[in-house]
Amino acid sequence: MQILTTDPVKEPFKILYRRCVLDLQTGEQTFTDVPCANLEQVLGGFGRSFQHLAKRPVERAYCDENPLIINTGLLTGSSAMTGMRTYFSAYSPLKQSRKGLPAAIWSAGSGKFGAKFKWTGLDELILEHRSNQPVYLVISHTEQGPQVAVKSAEHLCGLTTHDKIMTLQQQYENAHFAAIGPAGENWQQVLMGAIALSTENQLRSGEDKQRFAGRGGMGSMMGYKNVLALVAQAPDQKKPLTDAVKKVNFNVVKGGGAARLQPIKRGGGGGTWAAYDVMQPFHAVPLNNFRPQGNDLPERMLRENVEKEYALESSACWRCGITCHNYVYEKKQDGTRGEFLAKFDYEPLNLLSTNIGVHDPGKGARLIQACDLMGMDAISLGVTLAYLLAWNERHPDQPLLGGVRFGDYEKIHELILETGRGNCPDIGMGSMRLSQQTGETDYAYHVKGLEIAAYQPETNPGYIWAIAGGHMTMGTYGMLIREGKTDVDSWVDAITRDKLQIVGFDMIGLCKFFDITKGIGTQMVVDCLHSDFNLEVTQEDLKAAVRRAFILGLIMEKRQGYTMDEYALPAEVAKKPNPHIKVPDISNLEYIEQLSQRVWAVFKPEMEQVEKELLERD
Amino acid sequence: MLPKANINLTIKLYGVFRIDRFKEKHLKFPAGVCVDEVVDQLQLNRQLLGIILINDQHARMTSRLTDGDTLALLPLLEGG
Repeated sequence: MQILTTDPVKEPFKILYRRCVLDLQTGEQTFTDVPCANLEQVLGGFGRSFQHLAKRPVERAYCDENPLIINTGLLTGSSAMTGMRTYFSAYSPLKQSRKGLPAAIWSAGSGKFGAKFKWTGLDELILEHRSNQPVYLVISHTEQGPQVAVKSAEHLCGLTTHDKIMTLQQQYENAHFAAIGPAGENWQQVLMGAIALSTENQLRSGEDKQRFAGRGGMGSMMGYKNVLALVAQAPDQKKPLTDAVKKVNFNVVKGGGAARLQPIKRGGGGGTWAAYDVMQPFHAVPLNNFRPQGNDLPERMLRENVEKEYALESSACWRCGITCHNYVYEKKQDGTRGEFLAKFDYEPLNLLSTNIGVHDPGKGARLIQACDLMGMDAISLGVTLAYLLAWNERHPDQPLLGGVRFGDYEKIHELILETGRGNCPDIGMGSMRLSQQTGETDYAYHVKGLEIAAYQPETNPGYIWAIAGGHMTMGTYGMLIREGKTDVDSWVDAITRDKLQIVGFDMIGLCKFFDITKGIGTQMVVDCLHSDFNLEVTQEDLKAAVRRAFILGLIMEKRQGYTMDEYALPAEVAKKPNPHIKVPDISNLEYIEQLSQRVWAVFKPEMEQVEKELLERD
Repeated sequence: MLPKANINLTIKLYGVFRIDRFKEKHLKFPAGVCVDEVVDQLQLNRQLLGIILINDQHARMTSRLTDGDTLALLPLLEGG
């Protein structure tokens, strides 16, 4: 980026980002230094990509007019801790309004690809049209600036995400990789394809320890474009760590937000997996398609039980002091680590084990591994499988897909592989479409066409207003359990003010664990921007930019035909209240109606204002 | 050693708090004891403490406990 001002609020046009538009049909490339129109564009990520998508009327995800936008955030590749994020944006093949129009979406992932991409000198790559042949793209740093080369990917066809990455690694030194799996290649049958992003650990160990940009089917979009992988090749450009950023990084590691993620041996809570421990006392761990039964089955996945049989390893992303990962290995007889199985994070673990009736940690790990290697979003896949299993339980006389049942590990494992191979479109198309096909939509656990995360909807009405996935774009998911707040005022305030700020991380290039409770409108981020770029920006400026970006997300949903009745929790929640979940009832229809009226009373005038400003600008 | 007590409490611990401690225990504390004093007595890491329940109701560090209460102490819940 070229930064020619210290004031990104008043003079955003003096900050230019380097964009390459690549027409995959013709091979034509256009490099431009684009002046930013506002602070959202300066920050990057979806703050920039959604403004671009908003100018494009797209009626089908798989069409020439739908671009795939790959970009980073201002702090991606910087010395600020967690600055590793890459963003993929497009109109989603998966998330769709009832009117049939695709919703704009972005998906974010860590790994080192984002930093390498930034260090090539490119800030954004827009892929137009589609290639006639399978290709991969090499984005490289040269003395003349970033270059993009299109290469044949015939040799990568059919390989898993991990194998694609390891194959490319043999050819490209000093590079990192983004790759789709077989699922993305079978984009017509699989709408939930994810994009794997390589890590240092993966390239060094040869084990499948990649990260994912999973939500919304961006891997399927990449597959539709016939782009099987991206290579970002550049020397590392680590800036010297300033005292200011060093202080911020220290606060990130020692701060309360990161504490529970740190390894237990360092006094931490042991990672996101520990959510099991916190939610089980409320019987709020999703089980058998989001119907907890008030029993102790989820406890099989508690760490204290898992480590009896499996070896665990705490690990961190490159240069990150938050050791948030928990790798699970087979345990040898002598207690040492055997074969690597999977990374235990709360969402994939729950949705590919407890919520589909699998209570064996090793089997859960194998299902996560299969999902990752095939390159699918663990959330969408797990929730869609759970719907199928729930259907089969309710309709033993009309079973689908061989009558697979909750807990039937072997068949579920095979189904995951077959879905990835494109042989099981009923699953590959997600829970909304499958439930529309069966005619029983009440117990399909999606909101606005995108599967919800592993937090019971009974505990989180905020799902309704999440713009790109249930928990990472509306930070209300733990509010009821954590704080016990039930009054409508608190929920309106949270949804319309503080908790939407979580999306700021999907603009600036930082992981949410940087400061998950506060967002990016903090002194820590102000200090990083000043120290690394000499930018003068206030916490309020940052919060306002994030808010405008979020509001634009709502505007784009409206433009794509979402109606008010689509802003709702899965119907079963209110129709068949679950007596086992030990939380106050804030998901009944009356409560949601009251909440909706109050939330929209705040959002709607702002949506009109932001839309007006956009129209004037364009 | 816990101090001489005159109210009975049931303490339930969850997650990392159980390590080298217990799942559930009946303990005696002085009358008028507050949650923070129990937390300190048990040497729990305050930074990791996320949820406090007294008789299944959310409570605060400053909440006062009475005879027969069940106090549940849970770690933080922040994302996944």
